[in-house]
Amino acid sequence: MAMFIFCACAPTATHTAPGGAAIANSGPVRGGTLVFSLWQEPAGLLPNFASQTVAGIVASLVVEGLTGTNSDGSYYPVLATQVPTLANGGVRLLAGGGMDVSYELIPNVRWSDGSAFTSADVKFTWETYLKDPKVITKDGYSAIEQIDTPTPTSVVLHYKQIYGPYLTRFTGLLPKSLEKEADLSRSEYNRKPIGTGPFRITEFVAGDHITAERNPTYRVPDRPYLDRIIFRSVPSREAAIAQLKAGEVDGMWNLLEAQVPEIAPDPKLRVIATAGATVERIELNLAKPADPADPAVRHPVLGDRAVRRALNLATPKQQIIDKLLFGKAQIGTSPVSQGWASPKGLAQEPYDPNLANKVLDEAGWVKGADGVRAKGGVRAALTIMTTSGDKVREQTEQVLIDEWKRVGIELSIRNLPSDVLLSGTFANDPRKRGNFDLVMYASTPGIDPQTTMLRYTTAGIPTTANGGAGQNFTRFANAEADAAIAGASATVDQPKRAELYARALKLLNDEIAIIWLYDRQTIDAFRATVRGPTGSVWLGITFNAQDWWIGR
Amino acid sequence: MHRVTSYVLRRLVGAVPLLLGISVISFAILKAVPGGPLAAYEANPNITPEDIVRLERAFGLDQPFHVQYLTWFGRLLGGDWGHSYASSQPVLAMIGERLPNTLTLMGTVYVVTLLIAIPIGVATATRQYSRFDHLVTGGTFLAYSMPPFWLGLLLIILFGLQLRWLPLGGMTVPGATSFDLVDRLRHLVLPVTTLALFGTAHYVRYLRASMLETIGQDYLRTARAKGLGERIVILRHALRNASIPLVTVAALDLPELFVGALVTEQIFGWPGMGRLFWDAATRADYPVLMGILVVSATLVVLANLAADVLYAYLDPRIRFA
Repeated sequence: MAMFIFCACAPTATHTAPGGAAIANSGPVRGGTLVFSLWQEPAGLLPNFASQTVAGIVASLVVEGLTGTNSDGSYYPVLATQVPTLANGGVRLLAGGGMDVSYELIPNVRWSDGSAFTSADVKFTWETYLKDPKVITKDGYSAIEQIDTPTPTSVVLHYKQIYGPYLTRFTGLLPKSLEKEADLSRSEYNRKPIGTGPFRITEFVAGDHITAERNPTYRVPDRPYLDRIIFRSVPSREAAIAQLKAGEVDGMWNLLEAQVPEIAPDPKLRVIATAGATVERIELNLAKPADPADPAVRHPVLGDRAVRRALNLATPKQQIIDKLLFGKAQIGTSPVSQGWASPKGLAQEPYDPNLANKVLDEAGWVKGADGVRAKGGVRAALTIMTTSGDKVREQTEQVLIDEWKRVGIELSIRNLPSDVLLSGTFANDPRKRGNFDLVMYASTPGIDPQTTMLRYTTAGIPTTANGGAGQNFTRFANAEADAAIAGASATVDQPKRAELYARALKLLNDEIAIIWLYDRQTIDAFRATVRGPTGSVWLGITFNAQDWWIGR
Repeated sequence: MHRVTSYVLRRLVGAVPLLLGISVISFAILKAVPGGPLAAYEANPNITPEDIVRLERAFGLDQPFHVQYLTWFGRLLGGDWGHSYASSQPVLAMIGERLPNTLTLMGTVYVVTLLIAIPIGVATATRQYSRFDHLVTGGTFLAYSMPPFWLGLLLIILFGLQLRWLPLGGMTVPGATSFDLVDRLRHLVLPVTTLALFGTAHYVRYLRASMLETIGQDYLRTARAKGLGERIVILRHALRNASIPLVTVAALDLPELFVGALVTEQIFGWPGMGRLFWDAATRADYPVLMGILVVSATLVVLANLAADVLYAYLDPRIRFA
């Protein structure tokens, strides 16, 4: 066909690998373009207006805040000179129940439009977040009564009450020069935000690419190394992998565990797998399934702790990790797997099907002629739900059917599309309705675990009465855990908070309301010539893009 | 001519209730899909239930169905197509960004398809039951039954990954600063091939059937008896009459020029209307989806009208009624 006449010209690599042979292998090289593919596209880049993870991957090149988070969950100053705590006097508790948090800002910082970064910008950010109805969250910002800006480099936040996660706020700042915009999210700055970071967005072509160029006003000398990073929009992970292998792109975001064996053996490519905060779990409904469920009515089978214990004992977590995830995961222990609040030494009982059988025998669940146990006329037959089309989850279900059959529990599958199963609406989401036996999915806690811990409070049980608010899908209710979680949010003493969360999580695990399958990893991949990416538990792969460079 | 004008006007007036009905049904179907634009927020640990309630109110999602529809429709009448829930961009601007890309892709497909389909269709009909005819008939069945998502991936694997002749996707080489015709054509080859193969098979089958019907008619024998050359008989006398069904089909395909190809654009990462619709659908971005649906429904109505008018122009036996 006539169309193939264009095939003759060979494709040429487009990134200009900088530096001659003379300086190869002699430390970071300055200059060059890195092409990084994203299989999802950011809708907008303004901080606190975008919920997508992928938006953070691009925005973090541009937008900075007062603090950042290390992989261990500790905080480090970004545009502040130090992290305010009770110990260093940055946080002062007030007699009336409020608190003051003071930040000193790094002097002589400039926004990418050339204007000076001052305490007025912090105040403007707060005012915008309070005023704009379309920001993602007002949590924490609405707890602030007033912000004082005594000098251009010092800012004092007056909180109405104790707000524990105060260091997770103001991680993305807006310049006061945007105050002229009537509707920020509809302004051009949603695609080309003004920031203080190492890069600035120079081009945003929807559906195709986003170009980030070196920010000439960046405060750190000799950074970034790269002249530019181009984020290429690709339709799928598979397409991104193909382009990475073909050398059309230098890096890609977010692979699945099962895709690693396809890349790892290639010496020209490098996989970066970082422990992630996402925990894959099976949640057990403690209430009798109904539409909607009444949390006061116990589940006829799962209401018995012995059954829940046996299910956990009969779940071969390591085997699932090794066979289905190619070893790229850790056995789960709690919903807070990472960070300062992650409880140490909290584990569920390991795989032991013999013990599972014994536990069920002792609890009076007797095997019938069909091999399925029953007690008081109730058969131990359960249904599991997960997102349909997810290969690893569907394979896990098959493993569980076989394993649980051996301990006399019959498992059947009723999967739903993720749009329905995880819709999060009281009208549709079976988790919210309480209309399930077992549900397998993953959830990721924030850097501060408070909102995640609210999932395990009595008040977090979705019911008709509360309009289906809350995400306590297992219907776990424990007054002591409620008190611990409430206490943790009412103090800024981090060790104390960690201890209270650990107590609540211990109570949750004692009930065996949830089987923690595995902690997922965050996996990205690069051409081997790309140096610098390290990965981070809490921040996207691009968090240190100013240190990236392309070698030989 | 006056008759044509009044016919067109009557048809346009009749299209108004039709389009209204389509918009109501589309809106209802979108709303019936579980999830909604805030579903992704539910899983985000940084968003509280209070935030979700506030955002629902900000986007008007807490309103009953008819209020949401009437609000949307009222704004549309005033020329406001709304803003995307996800990106806050104006819907019309988002469509405007993608339209040139889709026109480039689909326009090329359209031209290539017609340029290949017409000669093949004529040739295969004039040589009925020859080896060439069997080859084309078999080939068109094969091309017609290959789903674009499968053929597209196959072409990517063969020409992109194995042979490395052509880029794997996108519209330009990353980092291109100015328009480069050769680069654009290289990116067009695979998606155009995928779509044109299907379209060509489609058109060839239509043209072959109508040509065969025409060739057997008496007036062609008369034309030959007058001593006209075979070339003139076929091209001027047979093809003109035989092309009437093809014109109808081609006119009905015109909206695709603007709406794009959902699956193919997605596979090849082509930043066109199809991908915009796909992305909006996965995010339950109602204003964008409704905008595209209104545009495409209007184009389909207009294309139907155009096909009918053209039909009558080409075949004087057909009268406007």
